[in-house]
Amino acid sequence: MKMKQFIASGVAAWFVVLSVSANAASLKLGELAPMAGVKMKNVDGKEASIADVAGKNGTLVVFTCNHCPFAKAWEGRLAEIGNAYKEKGVGVIAINANDPSAFPEDSFDVMQQRAKEKGYQFPYAVDGTSDIARAFGATRTPEAFLFNKDGKLVYHGAIDDDQDATKVTKNFLRDALDALIDGKTIPVSETKFIGCSIKYRPKA
Amino acid sequence: MPVELVQIAPVKAQDVLRLVHEPGTKAVLVNVWATWCGPCREEFPNIVKLARNYQARGLRVVLVSSDDERELPGVKQFLAKQGVAFPSYIKAEKDQEFINGIDSRWSGALPATFIYDGSGKLRHFWEGAASYGEFKRKVLEILNG
Repeated sequence: MKMKQFIASGVAAWFVVLSVSANAASLKLGELAPMAGVKMKNVDGKEASIADVAGKNGTLVVFTCNHCPFAKAWEGRLAEIGNAYKEKGVGVIAINANDPSAFPEDSFDVMQQRAKEKGYQFPYAVDGTSDIARAFGATRTPEAFLFNKDGKLVYHGAIDDDQDATKVTKNFLRDALDALIDGKTIPVSETKFIGCSIKYRPKA
Repeated sequence: MPVELVQIAPVKAQDVLRLVHEPGTKAVLVNVWATWCGPCREEFPNIVKLARNYQARGLRVVLVSSDDERELPGVKQFLAKQGVAFPSYIKAEKDQEFINGIDSRWSGALPATFIYDGSGKLRHFWEGAASYGEFKRKVLEILNG
């Protein structure tokens, strides 16, 4: 009887197939920043690319936007980290890939205001086709990608572990930046988080 | 529905999985959403309708808000407006632990839907919104199976 049940459940298992539909894969650790030479419109009215900002110790690319409550919750922390580590030889660029026709608050004007208000000492640029975000496989805001001095991805994920700044226990991005500068192994190189979806522009 | 009637409790991933494995249901649909998530709000009425139509046939719907706990009043208001008369939940765990605790294939994107059969086995998982027809087809596949 037991054997029969075992066989029966085994047979049943054959027919149970999990259907999974998740997002396309994002950039993998060790990979180079795609589309690094593509010029984007920066809030200072000039152009900036990822390659333009690359630092001697590494490069931090953060996809963010203006409208998302999550991105907003981290704006102050992004400014602090970006400004501090720029001084430590890490190139920093924030990129808004959201389609402003989906969220008017994600317009260039609001980006300019926000960068000024928050005191970003680094470019906050428009991914005008959303193709850079697509190439990175960036799906949410704010989403961080940290590259080492050789341009290889060493950290991807959240800035830290809590939307509420007073409850943060793990400073993932700062820890990765410190390790990168000290030439140490990145303690946690990939983190998952819940965030607003990036609303890509339609493909050209 | 008056907001006072909304029942909402904090959960961690392991609590969600425990609900999934509770006996007495033929299918369990877990949907993780947030008040700030547009596609979540759009598909929400489909899920409420699904719960209403298939509860008697053994479907249990577990709605988990991933809003920050400071947003609880807004979450309750939304649930009341949508007429969610059954108990629902709010995430009380760090993102990374919650996401991987539910399923490591989940990127953390919202909305996320997981459908389990009566034995607690995950049968469907997807990220992004779905129509009532899609929800119904996947749930019926398990209820009729």
